[in-house]
Amino acid sequence: MVEVQDVSFAYAAGANALNGVSLTLRPGERVVLLGRNGSGKSTLGRLLNGGLAPSSGSVSVDGETSSRQFARLVGYVRQDPRNQIVSPLVSDEVAFGPRNLGLSREEVLERVTWALEQCGIAGLSERLTAELSGGQQQLVAMAGVLAMRPRYLVLDEVGSHLDERSRERVRAVVRSLTADGVGVAEIAHSPQDLFGADRAVVLEAGRIAWEGAPTDLFGSERVLSELGWRDDVVAGALCGAVRAGYRLGPRPDEEALSQHMPQIDEGQAGPGRGACAASSLVAADVRVEYGEVCALGDVDLAATGLTLVLGASGSGKTTLAHVLAGVLAPDAGHVGLGARPVRAGQVGLVFQRPEDQLFCDTVLDELAYGPLAAGAVARDAEDAAREAAGLLGLPGELLSRSPFELSGGQMRRAALAAVVAARPAAYVFDEPTAGLDAPSRRQLQDLVRTLVASGTPVVAITHDAQDWLADADDVFFLASGHVVAHVDARTAACAPEVFERAGLLPPLSVRLRARAEGRSRA
Amino acid sequence: MRRPVMLGAYVDRCTAVHRMDARVKLVALLLASVASFASSAHAGLAMAAAGLVVALGASRTSAREVLCGLRPALVVLAFSLLANSVVIVGQPGVSLAGLVRGATAVLRIVLVVGFALVFSSTTMPPAIADALASLLSPLRRVGVPVGDLATMLSVALRFIPITMEEAERIRAAQRARGARLDEGGVLARLRGWGQVLVPLLVSLFRRADELASAMADRCYGGQQTSLSEPLTSREVAVLLACVAWAAAAVLA
Repeated sequence: MVEVQDVSFAYAAGANALNGVSLTLRPGERVVLLGRNGSGKSTLGRLLNGGLAPSSGSVSVDGETSSRQFARLVGYVRQDPRNQIVSPLVSDEVAFGPRNLGLSREEVLERVTWALEQCGIAGLSERLTAELSGGQQQLVAMAGVLAMRPRYLVLDEVGSHLDERSRERVRAVVRSLTADGVGVAEIAHSPQDLFGADRAVVLEAGRIAWEGAPTDLFGSERVLSELGWRDDVVAGALCGAVRAGYRLGPRPDEEALSQHMPQIDEGQAGPGRGACAASSLVAADVRVEYGEVCALGDVDLAATGLTLVLGASGSGKTTLAHVLAGVLAPDAGHVGLGARPVRAGQVGLVFQRPEDQLFCDTVLDELAYGPLAAGAVARDAEDAAREAAGLLGLPGELLSRSPFELSGGQMRRAALAAVVAARPAAYVFDEPTAGLDAPSRRQLQDLVRTLVASGTPVVAITHDAQDWLADADDVFFLASGHVVAHVDARTAACAPEVFERAGLLPPLSVRLRARAEGRSRA
Repeated sequence: MRRPVMLGAYVDRCTAVHRMDARVKLVALLLASVASFASSAHAGLAMAAAGLVVALGASRTSAREVLCGLRPALVVLAFSLLANSVVIVGQPGVSLAGLVRGATAVLRIVLVVGFALVFSSTTMPPAIADALASLLSPLRRVGVPVGDLATMLSVALRFIPITMEEAERIRAAQRARGARLDEGGVLARLRGWGQVLVPLLVSLFRRADELASAMADRCYGGQQTSLSEPLTSREVAVLLACVAWAAAAVLA
């Protein structure tokens, strides 16, 4: 059993990240840790495996109290598999942990085989890690941790970079682990992660704000608003179902939940509808090849309002983002804003971690960079920068600071403001919400809504269709570089078969909505 | 995004050379380099060249790849050939002896590049790191952290594609913000690189930090179980044949 008793922790020269937290994790138990970004979830996870030592209080794992020994007993899987894979080769990667334990060669090899089988990726053992998709890489990272045969496991938002199908595979691995008696502490952001959990723990500013059975969580208004789940469709359905006596099982009971789906608000039509066609972002017969690999073929797309592009990893989504933003010239076809061909600098491009493009000395320089590059005079550029800062809610006193001194959330907003300040004629967002908590996701959705309302077309490329379907106008489905379906968002929101055609697992909200619609038609 | 295969990168084929123990291949590469540079007579050089033909054939590496590998050195090679053969002082003209001397020098370099290419395209990066560690292991006694060196090499190889991908992504993001990275004079271009390098360094440090704690989580302490198997009698035979061949080439 892992026992955390009255633990506090402070990073150097900062306020306490954790304050008097107590927690137990039993073998075979799955506990879900929830809370906003910065609420102390990852810090708690790091304390469980000895990566951090508490400032006060105590942590013990199966009676062991020296945190140096915890790493052998408690495995830790991180959000981004690329930051934890050590070796270029899959089998060698999985062998890394057991080799560090000083096991014999035979035992190392045996564990590698076992761990790869546990994760269902025995076939990948001789592949290069860099060639794998994000989902496969995450399973490799998990196998690498499992090969050490930990008794407990901390999963730190392991699904946030994955598509729904890969998340489902990870969940299946976790189910078989808990059945074998491994205790799992899972840091998560989505209501769906609560199915099959034994307990939920909600952290708020470094303290445990709530702890209990997952079912009871949906009865607590206070917790739901702390997590920012009040507007979440799946959370809404769960609240309704729980009030009617439903209890969360190992997997969602789609029939029961679909009866409690919140109604689509008919008044809230996509704000971009009817935007003038002159400002649309158009791709016609676009083709991109890397050597002999065809990344995009005959892609036709016209974006007004909010357009979603969905597809499995490797379907060409990111290549499409580059082409639409004018930073990658297609091998054939053309991309235009209205009738004019698009040039780099005209379309705002936002990647998953926009803060990774900051480089100026001050936030103001960063925000004024785009307008200046577009040829604005210094005075106008500064005005545009201040306006963008206002739109993203960046207080004026931050503008003279270095962007690298800001908190994570502020950095992200500064980077977004830097893109908005240049007033691009269209936007492309590539996986903008991955790893964000519900309130930050909503902030981003609000920004997109504002941009769309001002008549600017926005293309969002995402694994998390659920977050965007309500606001979107059009949805394009991409599979191996081709558009396999193009439907309006209202249709996509209750058409799981379209997702399946693109090789995607439909989001739970879409499955539930489809059931509800089917019943009302019958 | 998939890119065309990088020159010298591992090529997945199924040949006897691919399956051979990396330590044997590494020693063979060292011997081949000695043979290419130290053989004096033409017969010796011919033997070394014959060795390359055998290695290329056995690993099914095409001669075209070797020529591609030489492209960066082409100017230097051409210059050395010219400098050796063209006589300016005294009676201007072309010296046959010089031409032969130049051609020999060029041939030696071609041979070494060829051998190195056969090695790198038939050996997985982690196997190279392991082989290096086991060959250097005697140095452990004098306090050289051989295990750490091998892991460093392996991690560095692993981060090459990540760094390239990240640089590409940041470049795209900056160009979309209006940065003109390939225009203007030298100064403007250097400034342009700052816009990519600053964020690239920040993000690589973040990744490195996270990787370091991920390695600590997996109990990394510098000492690792060696996964290399004892050499088979066939591999020992190959090794001895290589020694004999290199000695013959040098002494011929």
